[in-house]
Amino acid sequence: MSKSFIIRDHERGHDTIRSDGTRSSYIAGHPDGFVTRASSFNFHDYQSGRPGFGPVRVFGDEIFHGAGCGYNMHPHHNFVICAFVFEGQLTHINTAGEGMVDQLRAGDYYVFSAGSGGKHSELSVTSEDMHAIYLWLMPRQLFLPPTYHRAHFDYRRRRNTIVQLVGDADTALPIPQDLRVSRLMADAGRSFTYTLRSRGHGAYIFVREGSATVDGVALGRRDSAGFSDRDDPAITIDIGEDDSDIIVVETIMIDDDNIKAWEHDHAGH
Amino acid sequence: MNPEPFMRLMCLGCGFSYDEALGLPEHGLAPGTRWADIPETWVCPDCGTPKHMFEMVFIGYAEGGSDLASAA
Repeated sequence: MSKSFIIRDHERGHDTIRSDGTRSSYIAGHPDGFVTRASSFNFHDYQSGRPGFGPVRVFGDEIFHGAGCGYNMHPHHNFVICAFVFEGQLTHINTAGEGMVDQLRAGDYYVFSAGSGGKHSELSVTSEDMHAIYLWLMPRQLFLPPTYHRAHFDYRRRRNTIVQLVGDADTALPIPQDLRVSRLMADAGRSFTYTLRSRGHGAYIFVREGSATVDGVALGRRDSAGFSDRDDPAITIDIGEDDSDIIVVETIMIDDDNIKAWEHDHAGH
Repeated sequence: MNPEPFMRLMCLGCGFSYDEALGLPEHGLAPGTRWADIPETWVCPDCGTPKHMFEMVFIGYAEGGSDLASAA
């Protein structure tokens, strides 16, 4: 049976995390720096929402406020962490392999697979706010060799078309999971179809800017919806406003007991 | 006797994994230590996330991964 859910902007977990007290070792930019984070799924202090979607555990819509703000060096294993930058400048530093210092600006994005372990730091070093979406997912295998890949999405050239940024398409960044991230920047009145790979795949669709009607559901700015176990693999996206910006995460729906238990307890949510 | 298979769990704060078969000898947990036998006050050695925020996973190791995991 076809399953879907909607998460409105205000229903996400909204946190403000300041660089003070014990948090200043985690959040950079003391004394003025603070991160605002809107989580679609349960993460850190936000634990009253959905646990995830397929192997996805974090979909964090974040702003780093103040020069020097971000996350100080901290360790990861296994998680595949993707960042998509929309405003400002993100300095990403990681210790995986030979180590990496990268600077990302609007349109740039990376896939960092922490695998067997690595530390990273995420910093905004200019006075402009840095806006990024962070996506974390479980990998296909544990303790993979760590990898880092990055690329750029040129919205001037790739308008009114669904562009796969991460996944198995030509020039997309590789990822160790059956998952694809696509971006659609489009204008009012245009209509698009996203076709799922199989019945075992689902899609989490997030309206970053503008508005869209997705499979008949009206979504405004920062609203999102998830679709899985569909009879019809085609999902229609009708764009409501010019310069709408839509993120589509298509993934294999792993058989996850935690998510099933949550859905059972929240039937009709 | 058909012993319960060993579980693997992943920290939802940072991705650190605990494998019952391997334990965490570096952190005082012998191989074979069951998750249920680890105190509820235990936290992720890497990021401090509480024990209840680990999730059981069914994911295999990459080549050489289990050796690295047992030394984590």
